[in-house]
Amino acid sequence: MYLWKAWHDCRARVALYILAAVSIGVLSGLEVVSSANFHAFLMAYMAFQRPAGVSLAVFNHYFNSDFYMYITFSALRGFVGYGRPLDIATFVAGDWAFLVAYGLTPALLVSLTLGTTTIGREYDAGTMNFVLTRPASRRTFIFTDWTVGVTSMVIIVSGLVFPVFPFLYVIHAKGPGNVLGSLPGLWVLGAAVYGLSQFTTLVAGSAPKGLILSLAAVFTYSLLPVALHEWWHTDALLRLTDWTLRPFDYWAWPLSPFDWGATAFWLAAAAVFLGLSVLWIRFREV
Amino acid sequence: MNDLAIHTQGLAKFFGKTRAVDGLDLKVPRGSVYGFLGRNGAGKTTTVKTLLGLLRPTGGSAQVLGYDIRRELVAILEHTGFVPENKTLFGTLTPAQLVHFNRGYFPKWSGKLVERYAELFEIPMQTPFAKLSLGNKTKVCHLLALCQGADLLILDEPSIGLDPVITDLLLRVLVEDQVSEGTTVFLSSHQLVEVERIADWVGIIEKGKILLETRLEDIRQNYRLIRAAADTAPVISSPDLVAVQSSENFRSYLVSRQAEDFAAMLRAKGMTILEILPVSLEEVFLGLTRKEAPCISGKPGTIAALV
Repeated sequence: MYLWKAWHDCRARVALYILAAVSIGVLSGLEVVSSANFHAFLMAYMAFQRPAGVSLAVFNHYFNSDFYMYITFSALRGFVGYGRPLDIATFVAGDWAFLVAYGLTPALLVSLTLGTTTIGREYDAGTMNFVLTRPASRRTFIFTDWTVGVTSMVIIVSGLVFPVFPFLYVIHAKGPGNVLGSLPGLWVLGAAVYGLSQFTTLVAGSAPKGLILSLAAVFTYSLLPVALHEWWHTDALLRLTDWTLRPFDYWAWPLSPFDWGATAFWLAAAAVFLGLSVLWIRFREV
Repeated sequence: MNDLAIHTQGLAKFFGKTRAVDGLDLKVPRGSVYGFLGRNGAGKTTTVKTLLGLLRPTGGSAQVLGYDIRRELVAILEHTGFVPENKTLFGTLTPAQLVHFNRGYFPKWSGKLVERYAELFEIPMQTPFAKLSLGNKTKVCHLLALCQGADLLILDEPSIGLDPVITDLLLRVLVEDQVSEGTTVFLSSHQLVEVERIADWVGIIEKGKILLETRLEDIRQNYRLIRAAADTAPVISSPDLVAVQSSENFRSYLVSRQAEDFAAMLRAKGMTILEILPVSLEEVFLGLTRKEAPCISGKPGTIAALV
């Protein structure tokens, strides 16, 4: 049935993504441990030095490299906050938040590409008339694709983050602590982006065109508020965008409670795109 | 139970200003083999797609197996096997995997028939669909439709890519295995010879309207071509007159019944009857749908006409 077909179509890609995600997760864990050790070394070094001007400069240099990585990985954030982790526990939380933030881009890419391996591409392949003459309600094809795709995305994104857990416990007894709450935010954002990609693929009737459309939508969402801010000095949209991305803000959130508002926003966005796809396929002719 | 497998009343499908199907009235009896004929762009495929819910009708109504095409589409699809015009299935799946995909949708699916037809049609079941020849792709499409235990088979250009041997096998399977079990076969085709071989009803469509719907046996027994000569062509009006073809001083009249009475009327109007001939399905089709084509020299009506 279609569930089997949906899984058959994306399983190779999902397996590859899971392998890559777990590998990156393990490497990130190792990086956390080495970073924490280096942080402890710097703390000791700074305590030894009096005055600490030179060593602080060294510290900031290494610390900022993490921010550069964050800037590199983050597709949606245009700015980075500053802060100084003063103890290992905060450092762990900070690094964990960093991991979630850098997980944003892989989550986006995974969701965008998985969203194109859905029923919309059957138009381009010439097989839509075969699929839609199977005795099933059209919306079941959308729901089936969505279930398989979002489940795969959740596993892949979790594969990126969960392997870091043991390493966090290695460096501090608190482990990931309350920051674990950020992961659902990542899942829900991934579901929304998957829904967007599924919808654009359906509208375009082609996987490559659908991917281009959804990428354009993501970049518009990311850049339009900044453009409005720079050129027309309008901050309303920028504030809204910032609010929706709070769960993925490197610095604001490790010490903050779980962000229900922004998570609910992405959950609603996921539901809207799913609904749009259902409506579209209901009225689309072949 | 309705005794019509397909019944359309004024069915219409417009694409902007193009009237692809324009008030189509079809009556396809259950258990029959119905040949649905027409030229390119006549509206055959659009009709088929509308009946199967792939296109939404602009107007009119239609029932397939007694189910309304607007409200009971899933029920229609449960009982209808469909071979599409383009013969394209999932390219990465093998025929065996396509069978696996398809069988879950149909409670009356027959694994025994899969084995039988795969062997009979010589289908390479483990080769990805995309790598199959056009003929083998067509065979796989038929395999999926024939094994689902359908009450109605809608076959759009069923013999594309098939060699004469497989075409012959397919036509025999349709009649001996399917129609004998009560299945209705709706053949949309250009292959008049194939339709004439197995169909018992034909419908000819042109510009989205049905021009003729009758039993094939009626064509064989009652349809006649009357060739007549006259210096001037009289005005003829008769409900039995199907088509007229002119060539200089000659006229060819295709009549649906009572050819002798029609010939007598022509004689009474001063025409000389040259011959009265039985006609084939192809001659009826051409008589109804052919345009007055210019010959190579550009002078109209000088091509040797079949009708």
